[in-house]
Amino acid sequence: MRLLAWGFDLLLAAGLLWLAWQALFTPRRFSAVVNFMAFYLLMALVWVRLDAPDIALAEAAIGAGVTGALLLTALGRLPAGTSTGADPRRWQRPLQILAMAGAAMAALWLAWAAYQLPRPGLAAEVTAALDATGVSHGVTAVLLNLRAFDTFLEIVIMLAAVVLVWSLGPPLRAFAPATALPGLPALSHLLHPLFLLVPAYLLWRGTHAPGGAFPAGAVMGAGGVLLLLTDAAPWIYLRRHRLLLHLLLSSGMALFLAVALGGMLMTGTFFAIPLHLAPTLIMAVEVATGLSIALMLMAFYLLGEPGQ
Amino acid sequence: MTNYLYAVGAALLLANAGVGAWRILRGPTSADRMLAAEMITTSAIAVLLLLSIISDQSALVDVALLFALLAAVAMANFVTRTWTLLRDDKDTREEAGHD
Repeated sequence: MRLLAWGFDLLLAAGLLWLAWQALFTPRRFSAVVNFMAFYLLMALVWVRLDAPDIALAEAAIGAGVTGALLLTALGRLPAGTSTGADPRRWQRPLQILAMAGAAMAALWLAWAAYQLPRPGLAAEVTAALDATGVSHGVTAVLLNLRAFDTFLEIVIMLAAVVLVWSLGPPLRAFAPATALPGLPALSHLLHPLFLLVPAYLLWRGTHAPGGAFPAGAVMGAGGVLLLLTDAAPWIYLRRHRLLLHLLLSSGMALFLAVALGGMLMTGTFFAIPLHLAPTLIMAVEVATGLSIALMLMAFYLLGEPGQ
Repeated sequence: MTNYLYAVGAALLLANAGVGAWRILRGPTSADRMLAAEMITTSAIAVLLLLSIISDQSALVDVALLFALLAAVAMANFVTRTWTLLRDDKDTREEAGHD
């Protein structure tokens, strides 16, 4: 059994390295994108082997769903037959070698820093503090109570990214597909209930097992992308819904900030949540951030500000 | 004994995904490559389900569920947004242009 586990892990590592090499150095753009998507799949398996199902869940939701969709769409906008960039000019060679040497040095330094980290990490401290957080799953406790400020900043960064993408201009309309697609509306009708059910399930799981707002939001965002693909969400393009859209996009951040300030009023510490309110407040923040993340990912996918 | 068989099955399925990676390398059209990626997804789902039985972690079933749901979105994305007729070359399909 041990030998088999070793063989499995070696196969996984070899596949990962090969796909990463392919994604970086293949001369074909489409091939690079598909290799990147397959790389994410194997990466999720690696996280599973490393006993980190929370990260595997997030990796699956963000990597397989939204990143792949964004890359495929960006590829569809590029004209065919332009330079692939895999053949550097002569004067770029020293720069390339310098960059590779720098990356290798950084990787070695990171590996050394990771080796120096105390083992087995902070899991014991988190488990000891779990009773004071209001949730029974360690990762959720860290994300939404113990280190809530980091999570809040992540939401702010996503909102800033949406503003940046929208500042590029009006949303792009899709080109016509190469063939007729009669099955697509049926597929989206079949899948929409699942795209609501699964995020709700993940949110509920988050309080006591791997799950939570980020994977839930990413899955719901992928459902939103499917809505945009089948042109089933025309309301998002309307000018009179602009204010509503902006409010919904910032609702997760606003609620998070309100909870943090409320905690400051009640206990005197920023982001300190009183224990008797913690389960309700954390669930509310998770739902609001999940919905916000879903809408933000959908907003990325518009590639421009709607309603202009 | 059953766990041993499951582990052998998981390793074989991973090797199967490797065959899919070879198809991504070969092509020849973008549709072939996309289908190979979907095949790798299916293999990964099966591997995850087997691993969840071996290690008795029910969270892995959730990961497999996400893969299954999101693979459909990736495919819908490919046919509507990548496999399109570009404005510049309306006569040639993308699959001919991109490979």
